[in-house]
Amino acid sequence: MAVGSGVAQLQPVALPKFRSSSEATMLGILGIVLFLGLWEVAAQVGWLNPVILSSPSRIAVAFIGQWQSGQFIGDLGVSVAELVIGFALSAVIGVAVGIAMGLNRITEYALDPFVWFLYSTPLVALYPLIVVWLGFGFATVIAITFMLTVIPIAVNTFSGVKSVDPSLICAVRVFGGSNTDVILKAVLPASLPLVLAGFRIGLSRALIGVVLGEMFSSNAGLGFRMTVYAAHLKTADVFVPLVTFVIIGIITTQLAIMLEGRLQSWKT
Amino acid sequence: MAHLEIDHVSLAYPNAREKTSFLALDAIDLGVERGEFVTIVGPSGCGKSSLLMLIAALQQPTGGSVRLNGKPVAKPGPDRALVFQDFALLPWRTVLQNVELGLELRHMAPDERRAIARKYIAMVGLRDFERHFPHQLSGGMRQRVGIARALSVGPEVLLMDEPFGALDAQIRQVMAVELLKIWERDRKTIVFITHDIDEAVFLADRVIVMSASPGRVLEIIPVDLPRPRPLTLRNHPGFVAYRERIWNLLEDEVRSSLNWQASDDAAPMVPAL
Amino acid sequence: MTLSRRLVVGAASVVAFLILWQFVGQREIVRSDLISYPTEVLGTFIHLTATGELGSNAAVTLQEFVEGFVPSIVFGIIFGVVLALVKPLRELLDPLLTAIYTAPTIAFIPIFVVWFGVGTFSKVVIVFISAIFPIMINTRVGVSEIAEPWLRAVRSFGAGQLQVVTKAILPGSMPAIMAGIRLGLGRAIVGLIAAEMYVSITGIGRMIQVYSSAARASEIIVLVVVIAVFGYVCVALLRSVENRMGTWRSDLE
Repeated sequence: MAVGSGVAQLQPVALPKFRSSSEATMLGILGIVLFLGLWEVAAQVGWLNPVILSSPSRIAVAFIGQWQSGQFIGDLGVSVAELVIGFALSAVIGVAVGIAMGLNRITEYALDPFVWFLYSTPLVALYPLIVVWLGFGFATVIAITFMLTVIPIAVNTFSGVKSVDPSLICAVRVFGGSNTDVILKAVLPASLPLVLAGFRIGLSRALIGVVLGEMFSSNAGLGFRMTVYAAHLKTADVFVPLVTFVIIGIITTQLAIMLEGRLQSWKT
Repeated sequence: MAHLEIDHVSLAYPNAREKTSFLALDAIDLGVERGEFVTIVGPSGCGKSSLLMLIAALQQPTGGSVRLNGKPVAKPGPDRALVFQDFALLPWRTVLQNVELGLELRHMAPDERRAIARKYIAMVGLRDFERHFPHQLSGGMRQRVGIARALSVGPEVLLMDEPFGALDAQIRQVMAVELLKIWERDRKTIVFITHDIDEAVFLADRVIVMSASPGRVLEIIPVDLPRPRPLTLRNHPGFVAYRERIWNLLEDEVRSSLNWQASDDAAPMVPAL
Repeated sequence: MTLSRRLVVGAASVVAFLILWQFVGQREIVRSDLISYPTEVLGTFIHLTATGELGSNAAVTLQEFVEGFVPSIVFGIIFGVVLALVKPLRELLDPLLTAIYTAPTIAFIPIFVVWFGVGTFSKVVIVFISAIFPIMINTRVGVSEIAEPWLRAVRSFGAGQLQVVTKAILPGSMPAIMAGIRLGLGRAIVGLIAAEMYVSITGIGRMIQVYSSAARASEIIVLVVVIAVFGYVCVALLRSVENRMGTWRSDLE
């Protein structure tokens, strides 16, 4: 690792893109259906023990039970709220920090070691400190989510700002633009692709933060519920929040990718 | 009083490490009259672009002053508009939105600025491309957008920094003719930078020949050729004489800027004609 | 010169932070059991090492990590290559794999513990699962992208040529594979620590959990630094492996 190169050297991490056509989507859905089908058959026929490994039908039953008792909706609400608040906070602060570091050399050099440390460290290790400071509950989960999410957003925003073509900034200045004009009309639009990539990565990290926080330092939410059911060895019930998290993960990733595409429609 | 006065202007970049400074421009004296088309030609790195930056007030001179209508230029403004070599168009904006940029920064009302922008887009011959994005246009078209953008703010002086540098040689010639047609309409004061001697002579009322670094004015040559100037003018004996004169001034400067060190083989590479 | 200016400002910033931290912690401006201070952290580190507590737990964690991570690299690459080369399989499995890839892997910890118990194995599985998906997917993308012209050759020559192609394709898609491994590394460490915290019987994760409940900030900080250093060392190792591979590639070209 080259000394002093710090954050400026970090490549923003990109999600590999899949080409999809309706044919591929169909095959894909077929794949999931096959998987579920095989699982169910295996459970019915006795190849695997459904009490321990569960089966799609049992999971469905468990889901209906949780739904009817209102518990599922309550948990879902808590988790989604934590996700949204944690992410929104990270987005605002992360972008601000990224812009500050991108535009001001001194800020970049001063914050660089800390940002690099937080970027490379598995932040799960810092979580206990947060519990020590904030105890259990809603705020702690948001804090953990914030901590995990703000860094990729800041790093990607910083990369985006640094990659702005200087002659665009020059053009805005030449025609009489103030510093605010330069930021709003040149820097932000030009760095948008990387900022959005940061959002996409941040969103998946935020979800991890929510799961982590709820599993270890909360008494509400889907993650918490999972640990409770697991402690009682109620396998089918454990799958309900688990699958929900997976679905949330898929939805948020797809939303982020769609947003990236929509806001850059001018490129086509 | 000249429209644009460059009065004993010097520009030095301090080199903190070696406690010296790098002199980019050395005591440039130049007066440009209203409505005059002046070209500046010289070897690469001789400070031509820096001089333009000083006129645009993107930088301040270390010595001397730049004055427009007698008043020193303190900061960038619409009275001196710049056309860039790499076009500097905002890729996420349409042609129309790009041309509107200067007026937008002056807080002009949307309807007003759209009307003005459209007028200049039509003037550069791109009326059907208002809604296109830069990446959908060729290099020549993009530069025309850049020119429209610069003209739309109604500048007193148009500063052009090797505007055709990124275009191929044939397009350059046509663009030069078209630029002159546009210029003829309202005769703005233009300062045009190029390293192409033919282009410099073809366009100018006067050609400023600059030396290699540190940039100094070697000679100011009035171009006494009639307007309008057709493409075939380049073969005209008067034109050829100007070209030769400037090249004679520049050849040594160009060679010195190349830092071409003599090889051990003493025989000359090109026999003298 | 820019490089030294960056170093100076960066170092000054870190030093200023350490001094401030020491001051605030030692003088109890903020309770020192909440934030500790540099010298106390250092002392705790020495103590933990001397008693062997740090060493024995770290050894357990490291073992679980290696047992999970190494197979994930091997199988991740193999599956990735297979997915890249066998189109129908890829299209069938892609959405399923993407779903699991985008899912927060740590959410699987409770269910794995139910299935595999509280011993080492469940943690090895977590490491394996966390790391294999990024590796597999990045390998697949890397191989498909460089191998398009070669894939046509493969199909025309039949499976017998596969070995030759794999030996040539793999080095070419190394950058993508390494990116996948780096991603997998990060996720694996997060998964492992979280799993150890959840089960809380052995390992660094357990130590974190214990000291978290006891509100011992200085021990926690020591553990944070240990994990950070571990992560840093792994990345540095990967980088040097990548550089070594680079010379292979130029031979190939």
